[in-house]
Amino acid sequence: MLNVYLFQVLNGLGLGMIYFLISVGLTLIFGLLNFVNFAHGAFFLLGSYLCYTLVTLTGNFWLALIAGPLVIAMLAWALERSLIQRIYHLPHTFQILVTLGIALIIQELSIMIWGPVGKSVPTPELLQGVVRFGNFAYPIYRLFLIAFSAGVAILLWLLLERTRFGALVRAGSESTEMVSLLGSNIFRLFSITFALGVGLAGLAGVLSAPLRGAHPFIGPEVLGLAFVVVVIGGMGSFSGALVAGLLVGVVQSLMTTLWPQGASLMIYAAMAVVILLRPYGLFGRA
Amino acid sequence: MDTKTAAVASSAKRNGAAPLARPGRARWAPGTTLAMFGVVILLPVVLPSATLATEILIFAMAALACNLLLGYTGLLSFGQAIFFGAGAYCSALGMLHWQLGLFSALLLALSVGAVLALLVGLLCIRRKGIYFVMLTLALTQMAYFLAYTLSDWTGGDNGLLGVPRPPIALGGTTFVSLASPLAFYGLVAVLFAVIYIMARRITSSPFGSTLLAIRENEARAAALGYDIRLFKIMVFVLSGAITALAGALYAMLLNFAPLSNIELLMSEQILIMTIIGGTGSLFGSLLGAGSIVLLGDILSAIWPRWMLLLGVALIAVVIFMRGGLWGGLTSLLQRARRAASHDKEA
Amino acid sequence: MTNSHAPLLETRQLELAYGAFKAVGGVDLRIHSGTIHTVIGPNGAGKTSLFHCLTGERRPTNGRILLDGRDITRQPAHGRVGLGMARSFQITSLFQELSVHENLRLAAQGVDGWKALNFWQRLDTRKRHIDTADEVLERLNLTERAGIPAGELSHGQQRILEVGMAICARPKLLLLDEPTSGMGIDDIPTMTRLIGELGKDHSILLIEHNMSIVMSISDTITVMNRGQVLVEGTPDSVRNDQRVREAYLGEAA
Repeated sequence: MLNVYLFQVLNGLGLGMIYFLISVGLTLIFGLLNFVNFAHGAFFLLGSYLCYTLVTLTGNFWLALIAGPLVIAMLAWALERSLIQRIYHLPHTFQILVTLGIALIIQELSIMIWGPVGKSVPTPELLQGVVRFGNFAYPIYRLFLIAFSAGVAILLWLLLERTRFGALVRAGSESTEMVSLLGSNIFRLFSITFALGVGLAGLAGVLSAPLRGAHPFIGPEVLGLAFVVVVIGGMGSFSGALVAGLLVGVVQSLMTTLWPQGASLMIYAAMAVVILLRPYGLFGRA
Repeated sequence: MDTKTAAVASSAKRNGAAPLARPGRARWAPGTTLAMFGVVILLPVVLPSATLATEILIFAMAALACNLLLGYTGLLSFGQAIFFGAGAYCSALGMLHWQLGLFSALLLALSVGAVLALLVGLLCIRRKGIYFVMLTLALTQMAYFLAYTLSDWTGGDNGLLGVPRPPIALGGTTFVSLASPLAFYGLVAVLFAVIYIMARRITSSPFGSTLLAIRENEARAAALGYDIRLFKIMVFVLSGAITALAGALYAMLLNFAPLSNIELLMSEQILIMTIIGGTGSLFGSLLGAGSIVLLGDILSAIWPRWMLLLGVALIAVVIFMRGGLWGGLTSLLQRARRAASHDKEA
Repeated sequence: MTNSHAPLLETRQLELAYGAFKAVGGVDLRIHSGTIHTVIGPNGAGKTSLFHCLTGERRPTNGRILLDGRDITRQPAHGRVGLGMARSFQITSLFQELSVHENLRLAAQGVDGWKALNFWQRLDTRKRHIDTADEVLERLNLTERAGIPAGELSHGQQRILEVGMAICARPKLLLLDEPTSGMGIDDIPTMTRLIGELGKDHSILLIEHNMSIVMSISDTITVMNRGQVLVEGTPDSVRNDQRVREAYLGEAA
């Protein structure tokens, strides 16, 4: 019995790391650019499909793991330069509408390319099978997922805390004016951050593909969960996204054994309660 | 230092939900009411089926209600599906379990919509801007999963089947059966016209003018003596009641209340109709709902991916044409008029 | 002088604290009917915090505010308008997309409180508000521009409209927050004249930086420093007060 819970907790951690990867991009973009990206879930979807295509074509998951997020980040870069940059100065309402439009376009294009039925992606050979600890067995890929995302989280943390780029992003999240005073090209910083954030959503899509496959209508669900995490963690907070992502992942995973229908209900209720009682999130600053 | 000023200016502008389009109601008001009647009368004549015409008016009703929130008060809410879905479920359950008649069922939907909107409104108006939007989003998701969980009542994923369409009756005497699509269209058309005229009246009242003031500048409106929260709650109730009515009519039209009624996507769909039609214009809501329902009907058979166009249209509206279809139409009319007066002079 | 009468607006030991920092630290202010009362002070003296308490934007952490002897300390901002207080904003705050006339009409309608909730009457039947708007337009010299969106007025005219909206409520007390802020040198005399004229019909609490205006139109000046009242008196007595000079010099140094 205990093993079942351990299994669910580990599953929850994996799920939580995926949620973290999606949400941290959303929260970074919101923090620095004060921009609300409703297309974030669509880029996750695109990541899953890119993984499917690359694995089908080359049979190499590792290539997909590197190239998938890169392609998506480049796409995001181009999109930022051509369209998103024009709407930074507009109120959030407009940003939501434009990104909602982008999400619709990505979703429909994906169906045109990959068809309306989901695709499954095989687990890479190296990571097939299970690890045994006594009488407890756990899939290797899921362990890899946790370890790999943890590595990404650490790299990201180093990037934000230990580099000039990170310092600029943090300063910019405090006040846009400050970065301009530092003499940096704020628009280049915006482009890079947008591409990075969206690329992370793509990475999450790639990583989850061997587990869940690629589904054309997953975008809104992923977006919704990312908002839950971002809100609970506090909009713009890196550590908040990590803690809240893991929390939501584990709670959701445990609930599936207890009361599956109630899991989502509870998670969104938590989101509403946090906005009402602590709008800056459980870990954000007021 | 251009970037700096731009950045600072932009961050100053971001607070609050600014308007999409400036309502041009004064000049066109009598004209649009006539045009509305024209459309309502012509729809079943021009379209291949009265059912399609009915669907258009039902969504026009929902878009109009959404417009009161978004176009007139500046509140971008993803909560409309809560009211639409609740209206459908409650009227359907009332008819199925309590044998409610047509008008009692519609009245039930109206009141449930109003009460729910009061609750949702009371919660949501405590937050502004992006937090307001997120809160409406969270509540809609909660409503969806609640409906999904309560499958004994709602039928869960399968939806609520066998929703009746009772006749217009009074005290046991049946006056008109609504079984034929055209008869049902008649009922929906009358209800739509009544709501349209009411909404027109409301938007050009002191209350309506205050909504515009709130949309434009909340802090100033409060400083002038308006109790912003009261106005917002009232417009929520109004919008929720109308949306629930539309939901109830939709269930009667389909003889079915699907789970998708209360989904976030329904909110998005209603929002998209409102925005593409033209925010701040009641007639625009009719245009938006009409063109999207029609486009869907025509294109979904030959090109299932037609929703792609909606995505493009959303972006185009924000970047090029804030007034939506209605804004485009009025500027065309104005240009034509100007050209005509030029010709006269020449 | 009307000092023997009860003041129109009175604050008693008004305090607004942010944690340990007291932006307003126990201020007693008495504004008398029919006067222009100006609050000045170096940056950070607490003028704006005081103003926010008076308008209802901030709830004071201590003390009381009385209008005509009535306690309005806990009255929300919108509730104070009906009691006879109206304000202007330091940073122009108009309904940019609505016409100049509609800006003023809305201002006149706002005083009606609950009656503005009327959702059935047509606007043109509310003649009183339209008349008020017309009257104020005339007074502001903006009649010719009545129909254009407020956002298209020149900067100076927007500042004038900003003040004009406050008088539409026909308030007993006008609270003006730096009405000349951001105005060009050419427009300032117009504003000074307007405030002077308004002072004949209204009691005014003015916050202002421009010393020449302050000295020329004020009846009473309160000088604040570090959240407290430093000196209060006529323009002449304030001008020659050593403590005031020190406070301002301290800021310059």
